[in-house]
Amino acid sequence: MITAVFLLATVLAGCSKSAEGPQTDPAPTSPNSQKEGTEKTGEENPSDVWEFGSSELEFSAFTHYSWQDFPEKMEDAPLWKYLKENKKVNIKSILASGNNDQLMATMMADNKLPDLIYAERNHNDIQRLYKAGKLVPLDDYMEKYPNLKKWLNPKAADLLRAPDGKLYQFPNYYATIPNGSSAYVINKKIYKELGSPKLETIDDLYNYLVKVKENYGSEIVPFDPERAQDAQGIGLLYGGFKENAYYRSFNANTIAVVDDANNKLSSLFTDPTFRESQKFVSKLYREKLINQDMFTTDRGQIQERVINGKVAVFAGASPLAYASQGNAELSKEDPDAGYFVTWPFYKEGLDKNKIYTGGYDQLGWNVNVITTDAKEPEKIFAFLDWLTGPEGMAVQYFGPEGGYWEGFNENQEPIFTDAYDPVKVAQIESDNDAVIIAGNSSYIDPVKVKREMDKPFEERGWMTRYQESITWKTHIDHTALGTNLVPEAGTELADISVNVVDIFQQALSASATAKSDADVDKILDKAEQDAVALGYNELLEWRTQQWLKNKELLGQ
Amino acid sequence: MPQATVKEPDAKNTADYKPIHQRNAFQRWWKQIDIQLMVWPGAILIFVFAYIPMYGVLTGFMDYNIFTGARIFDNPWVGFKHFEAFFSAPQFVTIMRNTLAISLMKFFIGFPAPIILALMLNEIRGRFFKRTVQTITYLPYFMSWVIVGSMVMSLLSTENGSVNMLLQGVGAIDEPINFLSMREYFWGILVTTNVWKDIGFNSIIYLAAISGVNPSLYEAAEIDGATRFKQMYLITIPTIMPIIIIFMILQMGSLLNAGFEDILILAQNPSLRPVSDVIDTYVFRVGLQNQRYDYGVAVGLFRAVVSIVLLTMANYLARRSGNSLW
Repeated sequence: MITAVFLLATVLAGCSKSAEGPQTDPAPTSPNSQKEGTEKTGEENPSDVWEFGSSELEFSAFTHYSWQDFPEKMEDAPLWKYLKENKKVNIKSILASGNNDQLMATMMADNKLPDLIYAERNHNDIQRLYKAGKLVPLDDYMEKYPNLKKWLNPKAADLLRAPDGKLYQFPNYYATIPNGSSAYVINKKIYKELGSPKLETIDDLYNYLVKVKENYGSEIVPFDPERAQDAQGIGLLYGGFKENAYYRSFNANTIAVVDDANNKLSSLFTDPTFRESQKFVSKLYREKLINQDMFTTDRGQIQERVINGKVAVFAGASPLAYASQGNAELSKEDPDAGYFVTWPFYKEGLDKNKIYTGGYDQLGWNVNVITTDAKEPEKIFAFLDWLTGPEGMAVQYFGPEGGYWEGFNENQEPIFTDAYDPVKVAQIESDNDAVIIAGNSSYIDPVKVKREMDKPFEERGWMTRYQESITWKTHIDHTALGTNLVPEAGTELADISVNVVDIFQQALSASATAKSDADVDKILDKAEQDAVALGYNELLEWRTQQWLKNKELLGQ
Repeated sequence: MPQATVKEPDAKNTADYKPIHQRNAFQRWWKQIDIQLMVWPGAILIFVFAYIPMYGVLTGFMDYNIFTGARIFDNPWVGFKHFEAFFSAPQFVTIMRNTLAISLMKFFIGFPAPIILALMLNEIRGRFFKRTVQTITYLPYFMSWVIVGSMVMSLLSTENGSVNMLLQGVGAIDEPINFLSMREYFWGILVTTNVWKDIGFNSIIYLAAISGVNPSLYEAAEIDGATRFKQMYLITIPTIMPIIIIFMILQMGSLLNAGFEDILILAQNPSLRPVSDVIDTYVFRVGLQNQRYDYGVAVGLFRAVVSIVLLTMANYLARRSGNSLW
């Protein structure tokens, strides 16, 4: 089956190629000449800045994710509708419908690339496009247009640069202030019924879960971790066993812990903190205090349990959406029911202000790249730059000007009108979810909560309340651990990385469900042994070098 | 082949008449142009979509750069590098063991199951009951694996899963069993689910074959005093044997097809990988998700070669019984 896909890709490419005839055969030099062309125009007329919306702009765009596509029609997202009606923009979406890997491979083999690709930062395909000279460098445009230059930390921009020193990726959700939403959510009703005990340390958590089990039996899941396969829900607990621990250590592109004493990255399997937290998780598992199906359950089932109040403690990397939904549902019938977010649990004796449930990346997570197939790359950049500026951000999050906002104050923040309706504004944001591709978190996060912050704590929106007071304070900057640690596809290091991820995923699940603490050690010893035999040490060494480079660029 | 006797031409016939075997190739071809026209579209379709793409398997012997697209000969030849890499991959032994074990289990359980169901259905006299059973058994075939997978997951869940509740209810177990996380249960669950899903649909072909059995054979057997069981054993099975053998040969050819979607969906827990990783899931993970197309092609080609060998062997054995594919 899969072989067939590969073959089909080649054949499709073959068909269209022969239709075009040999003279259009794309020589590897053509992208470069085109690049030079655009650069030259930039040099000749440094002042000719194209004003976004002043003339027609049409381009094709592709979302390189399996779970999301750009809207099929411009009318399908409020932002795009606005762009079509007011800014003369027409974006032609290329839809993957879940088969993004296959489609991207076909487009590359076919040499017909979308003008704009929205993808994971440092995705292998982006590295490949860069190597093949298919990406347009953005440096000159960045100098010409105001917004990205203003909002993106220049050090972070350096980190984003390709080996040739040029910038090819336009980041999404880049930030200089902490953000994120990893958290523990507590069921309010159960908490009150059990006498509102102290819930601060890991021991408190354990005692609380025991109590839940005693009082509610199998009715309630005491501790429900989200996406345990990806180490999400149980990775939070890891952060509670050490000050300044990085949740990012579990990421498939990291799989390493920071060894501050030796200034290097070292094995996750031998990390004493990881062992301690896995022993705790396996203890919860053995005593049936944690969801017994945590490695097989899907998100729909968790959502159902949370909304029906069948969970005592819910932990995840982004639990707030389900929890706020559940809170709204449950508090409708009983004002005392619902959920609240608690400060992360920590091991007795640690400083609770140095405990992190998650991390944030100054570069955000996704990026946009403009390919050499784009006829007007500069205009596409101008579009992205407008999106990431105050006007673009305001339209994306609050709708067109004249509705819920009108004009900007001296800090370039939108001035909200009396018509402002929090429910409808939230709807705009969620309807624009698939097209917010140049999010400017440093700008929009404070603006979003500003209106809410003027109110007393209890009257604020459920999510904002806890983001501002807890989750934004419990996320550590992991930019250096999250960038340029992915080895290039096809190299020996990439093979090692694939094998180490395999071993890690198995060891994580096996040790979380181990029969005894001794078994946890045994499983992790075995994992370390297997990983080292396959070259884990070389991978760690390479990642250490990359990480040190990142730290230097960031000045950390 | 029965020998066709060619009649001598009538004296009345014109002189240009020649028996078919005496004409040249073109004449013979032209004579059957109406039939040829029906065959060609199909042949062209197969040629374009099944034969032309085949040159892509050459990338299994190259370091393939995707940007060369269909101009695959721009890539350097590397001989058997990717094959060697696969054979020496740390997962190789596990993958081959799982592939063979799962497909053999599917073969030995999944292949006879629809035949047995068809034989049993054939013995049922009540038309309504027979139809009902048939409809119910073939319904799951039309459900996608995603739906079947989530049904299985909620049935076997430890948190209020029906199977665990039932077993606890009858006192068979004290504590819920985590079926989908335990290696020893995985093959069983996988094969059972497969049989349940496909049994009804696959039995249709055998039911059709059985309905073609000449009823006078049964009548004669009954007069001779054969029991129902003996009739099944001595008449039904031997009559449908050619069909069974042909399907068995085809099944042998796909022995290295241990499945893909079913495993991907049922083996969510990574700790099951030592028992669930098969060639297809491995190719998917390494070839497509990690973009090593040349390697993926090499592994796929290896599987195809083994399949052809198995198919030829099975056919050779079957030829002795006179029921071979070719």
